[in-house]
Amino acid sequence: MRVLKTDIAIIGAGPAGLAAALEASRLGKSVTLIERSDDLGGILQQCIHDGFGLIRFKKQLSGPQYAERFIEELKVSDVSLLLDTTVLSIEDKVIFAVSPKEGVLTIHPGAIVLAMGCRERTRSQVEIYGTRPSGVMTAGTVQRYINLEGYLPGRRAVILGSGDIGLIMARRMHLEGIEVLGVYEVMPEVGGLARNVYQCLIDYDIPLHLSTTVTEIFGRERLEGVRVVKVDEDRRPIEGTEGIVACDLLVLSVGLIPENELSRKAGVCISPVTKGPVLDESMMTTVPGIFAAGNVAIVFDLVDYVSDSAEAAARGAVRYLDGQAPATAPLDVIAGNNVASFLPSRYHVDYVGEELSFFLRVKKMQSNARVVLKQGDTIIKSKKQQVVRPAEMVALKLTQKDLALIEASSPLVLHIEA
Amino acid sequence: MVKRLQKLVAKFSEASSCSISATVREDQVVVLEGEVLDWTTADELAHRVAKIRDVRNVINHLSCGGRSLAYIPNKEAIAKGRSLGVLDEADVIIVGAGVIGSGIARELSKYKLDIVVLEKGDDVSQGASKANNGMIHPGNAVMPRTLKAKLNVEGNAMYGDWAKELHFEFKRLGTFALSYDKHDFYIPWLVWIAGRLNKVPEMRFISPDNFLEMEKDMHTKPRRVLYSPTAAYVDGYEVTIALAENAVMNGARFHLSSEVVDVDVEDGIVKGVVTNRGLVKGRLVINAAGIFADEIAAMAGDQFYTLHPRKGAIAIFDKEMKGPTRALNGKLPTTLRNTKGGGVHRTVSGNPLWGPNAVEILDKTDHSVQPEDLDYVMGSGAIVRADMKRSDIIACFAGIRAADYKEDFIIERSRVVQGFIHVAGIQSPGLAAAPAIAKMVEGLVKEELGELSRKDDWNPIREKPVVFSRLSPKEQDRLVSENPSYGHIVCRCETISEGEIVDAINRPIPAVTFDAIKRRVRATMGRCQGGFCGPRILEIIARETGLRPEEVKKQGPNSSIVVGTIRERYEGIDCRKTEARFVSSMAQEMGESDESP
Repeated sequence: MRVLKTDIAIIGAGPAGLAAALEASRLGKSVTLIERSDDLGGILQQCIHDGFGLIRFKKQLSGPQYAERFIEELKVSDVSLLLDTTVLSIEDKVIFAVSPKEGVLTIHPGAIVLAMGCRERTRSQVEIYGTRPSGVMTAGTVQRYINLEGYLPGRRAVILGSGDIGLIMARRMHLEGIEVLGVYEVMPEVGGLARNVYQCLIDYDIPLHLSTTVTEIFGRERLEGVRVVKVDEDRRPIEGTEGIVACDLLVLSVGLIPENELSRKAGVCISPVTKGPVLDESMMTTVPGIFAAGNVAIVFDLVDYVSDSAEAAARGAVRYLDGQAPATAPLDVIAGNNVASFLPSRYHVDYVGEELSFFLRVKKMQSNARVVLKQGDTIIKSKKQQVVRPAEMVALKLTQKDLALIEASSPLVLHIEA
Repeated sequence: MVKRLQKLVAKFSEASSCSISATVREDQVVVLEGEVLDWTTADELAHRVAKIRDVRNVINHLSCGGRSLAYIPNKEAIAKGRSLGVLDEADVIIVGAGVIGSGIARELSKYKLDIVVLEKGDDVSQGASKANNGMIHPGNAVMPRTLKAKLNVEGNAMYGDWAKELHFEFKRLGTFALSYDKHDFYIPWLVWIAGRLNKVPEMRFISPDNFLEMEKDMHTKPRRVLYSPTAAYVDGYEVTIALAENAVMNGARFHLSSEVVDVDVEDGIVKGVVTNRGLVKGRLVINAAGIFADEIAAMAGDQFYTLHPRKGAIAIFDKEMKGPTRALNGKLPTTLRNTKGGGVHRTVSGNPLWGPNAVEILDKTDHSVQPEDLDYVMGSGAIVRADMKRSDIIACFAGIRAADYKEDFIIERSRVVQGFIHVAGIQSPGLAAAPAIAKMVEGLVKEELGELSRKDDWNPIREKPVVFSRLSPKEQDRLVSENPSYGHIVCRCETISEGEIVDAINRPIPAVTFDAIKRRVRATMGRCQGGFCGPRILEIIARETGLRPEEVKKQGPNSSIVVGTIRERYEGIDCRKTEARFVSSMAQEMGESDESP
């Protein structure tokens, strides 16, 4: 059993892991990047559509192109790579991992950055009844089959959920000759970005059915059809609106959940709100020296934010190793009106980093909204936004000056005002 | 008896305004015919008839909405099967590779007998053996003085040896019967009385505090607690796979995807069976066909019971969810008859499991789960764990109980056909009774064939397959150095390596479908339900078996995971021409859009 020592171990070499590794390495730390597949870039490699990097590189890149920018830089860095290596557990900040070549590895890092990304919600989490045939897959799996493996997962598809992956896969399947019968969304509004509705559905005449959902699956062995039904405001099926759509593929795009099984094993507290770890302003979890980056922390809408958050986590890890971590007890950050999930959920007043972004997602659409961070009656920072949507993440950027307004007293509240 | 029968039938006919007729056969079997408007009527009547004294059993040929449980020979399939010639020949033909058929095969493999097991599914354990709650009941939830009760208690006691020899996961943790208030005060008592009559060992009442001590996740204090320590937990399919593998090791032959469509009987003597893949000759047929056993009996010309499918839905929760480790009764089901119904416990792998419920249906292959099934399951569980939600369920499925109207096991030599043994009506607690059933059938086989001589080299041990995640880091390291594929983790939710999947594909009963792999190594069973590992498993199965990816199935011949390749669309297309056409059409489109504002 090989034993390794490193300043910072990063788990996962998707967009978050890559950015964190580079940032930590730039700041002079020894970095070990652990990736279970034999390839870098994570899920970006199967995202062959464009739209990545608009904020960061001011360019419309494809997923692999976005990843390539980091991978090129990584090649000339000092980051040591452990590919084809799966982390089995983290105990007392010691990482146990396994790879076919090296067997079991024990890694003793000074700090850990968790960057495992997220996973898709499955059929069982969306209450669909009926049988369990083949032909029911999550959108990400369909994407992998088509884009990486070169297989057709079906010929007539229904998509449930209008999240971005669902919309993108509608177009992708259409282009590969799969008949896309419609995108069904239980909510009264689209789950994905507006640009994707235009570019992926409207441009290809793919019908979108809002306030409509799939309730039952038919077919003994292979999927034969689904029952669809309109729902009321409380998402209850409306009688008399049922219909049956014959199809051999049901694509589920019903949301993402941060992947935190390892985080749990490592003893990290998971927030019931974000479903990610409880994090402070440096992306540090409740276990000192363990940080979280990217979609492990909160499901971001844009990869650019994933990279930003990962760099912040890397800087936090470096400060931790350099003994500059805050020593005070953290203030809680609380979700107020119309805030569904947010980051960070704790803040240290003796934080010494540079400017800081608060990220949040709203529960429901709201026009002429004002995003506000408050402490007691003091408004720390606020920003006007024409419209806020659940699909889009809102970033509230705080400068050093804004941060100075925060006092070591009561909790911070993040909310949306009319 | 005839009088009571006619009265009952008249009453039901009138109440449901249907025309129902009942005839009593010479062997005291009652045949019901006619048409009913809803199946509940047919089901109730048949059960009532079965309770009449001296009625041997009930054949229910009532139809409802054009459907019925009557056996209709598939003439086309029979003719086709016959035309294919002889597939195999054996002393003993066992129909069905569930826990019962596989258990019998393994038991008989001790002897110098040529054994063939015919299974219509593409893997063993395809019926009730895979879709149940995995409980080895102690024997106090079954009607006293039944064959079921006797074999349940005996089977339970034999499980320890099975587990030791076959190395399946086995936890003897016990079970509780609880009462909380005056409405359910009688439950523990009822269970206790049945247990005493059935001679269930070690039962005892324990203090509610003691109970809370044993089940740390339970917070509501019950009033009375009966503890039955002999209850145990297994995965039904793991037991079945282990039995089948051990039987194969000892010379039995399993033919999968081989459906029996007829039984050959000449002058009252069994000659063999017809399958969709050809004839199998043999002198003894053991009918362990689960829910289809009444049809196999009809093929042999000795049907004296109808099996009525009773569906039960089960919900499995994420391992992280809390809940009791031992089985508890849920709220007492008032709508259930003839079955114990389910409660709340944990699978041997640690996932909370709730259910099953019980619904009489007409379709033996209907495994669908409906909202009302889950309403029931969630309701019964909520009594003990109110904080679990539907969205915490990671999988739900339905199993079919193979019940006859006497609601007892039917294990006997045919009275009309020589060389035919019925092992029918095996519903809960069939899994628990399986070892005792195998033993009992062994006795019946000796009656049919005379004393049997034992093999000298019979090996009762089936080694446990490697489970990488359960090994210590040192053992893991050694294993990977011997075979690097164990170091390649394919299923991240359950930490399952490529090596384990390859092992499953190459074991005595090869696992070559997604579901077969899932049942052996748990891959795709975790939180992502195969989202991440599915494509990798497809690749491994295709590589190991030489199948094309689109030939790899989930379960069943029409269940391909992928239906074709992306390339097939472009085959025969001249790319240069297509490209030229594309460029010109683009130019045209751009030209058009330039004109529009």
